[in-house]
Formats: sequence, C-alpha cells, structure tokens
Amino acid sequence: VNLALTEEQQFVKQTFAAIFGKEASPERVRAAEPLGHDSALWKRMIETGALGVGVAEDTGGGGGGMLELALIAEEAGRRVAPIPFAEPAAAVRVLAACGATDLLREALAGDRMVSLACKPMAVEHQILAHGAIADVVVALESDRIVAIHRPRQVRPISNMGGLPIARWGELGEVQVLAGGEDSGRRFAAALDEVRVLRAAALVGLASEAIEIGAAYAREREAFGIKIGTYQAVAHPLADALVAKDGAQILVWKACWALNEGLPNAPALAAMAYVFAAETAYAAAQHSLHIHGGYGFTIECDIQLYYRRAKSWVTAFADPERELDLLADRTFGPSRKILRNALTSVTHGSE
Amino acid sequence: MDFYEPEHLKDIRNQAEAFVAEHITPEMVEEELRSGDGVSRPLLQAMGAKGWVAPMWPKEEGGAGLDPFETAAMLAVIRGAGGPTVGPGTTMLSANAIRALGSPELRDRILPDVAAGNTLICLGYTEPEGGSDVFACKTRSVRDGDEWIVSGQKMFTTFAHRADYCFLLTRSDAESRGPHGLTMFLMPMGTRGIECQLLRTMGYERTNIVFYNDVRVSDELRVGDAGQGLHVMRAALEAEQNVAPASRTTQLYDAAVTWARQTPLEDRGDTMLDDPLVRNRLARLAVDAEVAELLGIRVGFFEQLGAKPGPHAALFGPEAYVAWSKEMVDVVGPGALADWTDPEAVLAGVFEYHFRCAVASTIYGGSSEVLRSLIAEELLGLPRSRPKS
Repeated sequence: VNLALTEEQQFVKQTFAAIFGKEASPERVRAAEPLGHDSALWKRMIETGALGVGVAEDTGGGGGGMLELALIAEEAGRRVAPIPFAEPAAAVRVLAACGATDLLREALAGDRMVSLACKPMAVEHQILAHGAIADVVVALESDRIVAIHRPRQVRPISNMGGLPIARWGELGEVQVLAGGEDSGRRFAAALDEVRVLRAAALVGLASEAIEIGAAYAREREAFGIKIGTYQAVAHPLADALVAKDGAQILVWKACWALNEGLPNAPALAAMAYVFAAETAYAAAQHSLHIHGGYGFTIECDIQLYYRRAKSWVTAFADPERELDLLADRTFGPSRKILRNALTSVTHGSE
Repeated sequence: MDFYEPEHLKDIRNQAEAFVAEHITPEMVEEELRSGDGVSRPLLQAMGAKGWVAPMWPKEEGGAGLDPFETAAMLAVIRGAGGPTVGPGTTMLSANAIRALGSPELRDRILPDVAAGNTLICLGYTEPEGGSDVFACKTRSVRDGDEWIVSGQKMFTTFAHRADYCFLLTRSDAESRGPHGLTMFLMPMGTRGIECQLLRTMGYERTNIVFYNDVRVSDELRVGDAGQGLHVMRAALEAEQNVAPASRTTQLYDAAVTWARQTPLEDRGDTMLDDPLVRNRLARLAVDAEVAELLGIRVGFFEQLGAKPGPHAALFGPEAYVAWSKEMVDVVGPGALADWTDPEAVLAGVFEYHFRCAVASTIYGGSSEVLRSLIAEELLGLPRSRPKS
C-alpha cells in the first residue's frame, strides 16, 4: 500500500491548481454562463496537453494514466472550471484504442472537440453533456464504436448547471471506428473512466465548497460570536470533510484498479461515482445554508458550487441507477429482475 | 499509488489463522458472549508468547515488530473468530503512554509483563459526572510520604474486575480545575479499598463502576510528573483516536451478503440477492464499507510516515456501523431479532449482536461529537466550541 503521489504527480496537481486558480476565477466561471464553456481556458488546456495525459506517448499523448487525469479533474472541480474534461479525456483514450489516429491527432491538437455520448440510448434521443460545443461524439451503436459528427443545427439548452448540454436531433456524418466483440467492453471501460473522472471533479468541488463554508464560519458573527463556534454549523462541515477525504481515496483506488485492469475496477468506479456525488451535494448544500440569505444571492460564489454539485451528476447518471449497476457488478444480475423484464417483452409481443 | 496488499500480509494472516485454530475454542467464544468481560487469560498469554499483545513493539521488548497493516490484519483474524481482544487492545493504550512517558524503573517493571500477556491494564478516566469531558475528573489523590491516597469513583471501567492495574486519572491539586493539576497512576487493582460494581450493557458487555476508598498507591507507580496527567493522557488518547479499527462495517457487509446468498426469496430458486430492495441496500452498504476500510488504511499509512491522519476513520467507521446495523435488521426481518441463544437466530444472531453493540462504538473511542469538534478546530480552523477550562 502506498497512498503518496509521486513527485511527477504532485507536479501535475500543482501545475493545474495554478492554472485553474488563475484562469477559472469566479468571474470567468460566471462569464461562461449559461453556455458553460470558456474557449480561452479550453485552448489553454489543449496547449498544456492535459487532454492527452492518459494517452500513450507514441500516439501523441502524455503517457500517464487515470490518476494523473483524476488529479487534473479534481483541480478543475475545485474551481468549477467551465470546460469539459472527463468525457473528452476518456474519448481520446477510446480513439487511441481504436486506432483512429487522424481523429485522435485532431482532438489532441484542439482542432476538433471530441466528447462521449454516455446514455444507454440512441444518440439522437440523448441530451449530450457537451452537445452545444463538441464537434464529434463517440458512441456505442449496435455493438460498434462510432464517431458522430456535429449536425449543422444545434440549439444549446439553457440550464441551471452552466453546462454546454444540447440534443443532436439529426446526426452529422457517422464514422465507424471499431466493430466486433471488443467494442462493447471498450466503450464500457470508457464510461468507467468518465465515472471516476467525474467523481474526481466532484471531490474538488466538495473540497472548495467546504473551504468556502469554513472561511465564512470563521468570520461571520451571530449572537455575538463567530458562527463556526456553533456545533450545528461546524459539525456537518466536519462530516463533509471526512466524506470528501474518503471520496478522494476511493477515486484514487478506482484509478489504480482501472490502470491495473483489475476485475473489481468497474465496481470501484461505480462506488466512487455514487459516493462522490452524494458527498459533493451534501458539502455544497451545508456550505450554502450556513451563509444564510447571502448564500442564495447570485453574487455569492457558493451558489456556483451548489448548482454544479447536482448538475454534474445529473448530466451523467442518476446515482440510484448507478447503485443498481454496482449491485450487478458485485453480485451478478438479479434473476428476478431479468425474469420480469423477459415477461414484459413476451407480453409486449403478444 | 498502490493499493495492493503487501505479500507479507498473507503470512501474518496465515499465522493468525493457525493461531486461532489452536487457541480459540467454541467454549472460549461462548464464555465471552455470556460474560462480556472482553478478556481471556489463556488467549492473552498465547498472544503474548507470539509478541501479539504489543505487536508493534520491537522483538527485544516482547513485541513482534509488526507494522500497522500487519497488526490490523492479525487482530482482524482473531476478532473475526470471536476471540476477546478488548483486554489487550485497551491495555496497549496505557502501555504505549507508559512506554513514552513513564520512568525507566516503571517501564522495566510493567512493560515486559504487558508484552508477555501477563498483565492487563484497564482505563480509569471516566467519572459519573464526566464522560466525553474527561477533564471533569474529581477523583482525588493526596501525597502521603512515599505514597498517595486516592479516593473517588470511576465509571465504565471495562474488565476492572479482571485487570492487574488501572491507568487512573486523579486530581492531585485540590485547587485546580479542568486539564490542570491532574496526576496519572498505575493503580494495582488488588489494593485494599477498591470495590468493583458490575454494570451490564445491552451490547453483551460487562463493565464496572469502580470505587476507590482511601486507596494507597506507591509514588513509584505514578506515570509522568505530578500535575502532568494531561500530558500523559494526551499520549494515550491520541493512540485511541488514531488507531485503525478493523472496520465493523465490513464484518456486517460480509454477514449481509452471506445471508442474502443463502436465504430463499420465493419458490423459484431465487435468493434475497435477487431482490431489488435488498440489492440496493447491499450496494450502498458496500460503498460505506469500502470507504470505512480505505479511511482505516489511510490511518495506517500516515502512521507509518509518523504523520497524524486525523480521526476520520474513528468518526466515519462507527457512524456507518450504527446506521447499517439498524438497516440490516429491517432488511433481514423478524429473524434478525432472535439472539444467539435461540435456534431461530439468523447466522448465529449476528444482526441482533451488531444492532446491540454498534451504538456504543460512536461513544467510546471519543464520542462522534468530540471527534467532529476536533476536526472542525484542527483541520477547518473553526473556533473552539467548548468553553475553555
């Protein structure tokens, strides 16, 4: 067991902490709403090579793994940086695995933004996490991994999370990247990477939400004393801190298990996602609450965190459904649920 | 970053399993369930012979030179087999403080027998009017030549009736209040004037109220300087808060999965593991058990580096354990209510047992409220919430 980051990993963490600290200020985050995309920051990310950190060096990447990506995601989350990260970082790894060298090169160069279509339904029925800004989404359709190009008309959806979400009602050009048995497994692995990287971002979000709340509780006075003195204010922040540190180490374990290709990696990815989702919301909710009415005003930074703590989760998946997935991965499928599904299919055909 | 279990953990686990097979009998386990003493002298001595009472001490001192992970793995096997380990576990808290702060004479006199499993030391902090507030200590100690005279009353002194010594916190300065003017002693429990009164708990444990009626104790058995009891106690308390407890939530999870796998749901060959509501709960339990384990690993890792990890594991683990001990009774149903003495008991009454025991775990290693305040003050920089004394 070794929980220490290597010098190189610490360097990655510090570098991106500095970049997001400077270029994802609350002003920049606000300015990027409602579309939720800061193209100058995205350009900066491309320059740093952050997107390709998880791609092998001989295919133009940084030769790192999931942990390095998670460290970047966590720092992005800490500043609620208005750029996509989890899906594009997982997408380039799919492109590399499929040998889609042209598209991979374009993605890493920032010529095309490539994201993923993560919902288990046809692409044209999904609200795509980066539909408003992506040039290409990688999807699984009929057991093939496909790259779908952006249609001419896309309407961004005005939303509470400052997210670049949109539907692609009709699809652009569809390019088959890979077929065969491996495709489903490969795409599922990409979704697990998204789970873990989204969880890492939520850990960063929770971390800063706690700090914003603690900073306020250290200064604000009510009834003649600092409100942080009151245990009803302080104790939920302590619980949030413990949960945040637990979520972080769970994310790191999931990264390690994915890197090593361990059989329990998919279960750990689902665990990290569920736990980070609940942790981030609880942290942001309490932190906003202790600000009293101020936390509710648009000037207060904590509301930026509160809205994203929920939106970043909902844009990907309902945590209760992720628990079902975790159960399937841990205990195998439920015979009862399968039988009921079969019965309804049979009845439907009669 | 690496979460692989080190290879040598297998060795220690194998050794512990062989040890269990040899030394832990069904009679011993049943005796512990009936008595609730948390102590078995034969087990203690057998552990001592392996260096496992003080597993992290070097072999020259009677320990086994184990690291925190090996220690946790070894103890988990012994506890998992139902061996009573409260005695040695509690003894080590004060033994570590004596090792750090006791006089050379005291260390030589006490510690070899502790490590060998001949000596048990109970903890005498809590009083009727002071639980989490240990510094509300009223038990008096008065110097009389080469001796001290102690009088007062302590609460919840587990295995006092079986112990050789009590690590006893007293107030030596009558004028002092709070954390000042305290002196720690190692009180021989056979001394005249000590009276143990049985106190049963709902968690299959026996504890004691202990009365000290003008009890004489030699100054040689003072631990640390007179008036410096706070310092001595802090050394022992930190050991208690940072100790990586084998996660009870994982034990509960393992029992829950075993039950779900072997319990029929309907007459179609399904088990409880096929039921959506059971699966949902077990998946959630799996997440909390994993987090509790990882926070425990975090404690072990930081301790190895000589850093202080904070009481995360001591807060999260027991809170999760209480929540899930309650939830599992709902999941399992009326069969979970039957206790270990009844043939209807589910898995030998494991869910009834955990439900009864869990609630104490958020109290005795520092109550959850005290731990949250520590985190708020030390890690979040919030003002102190308790009045300064």
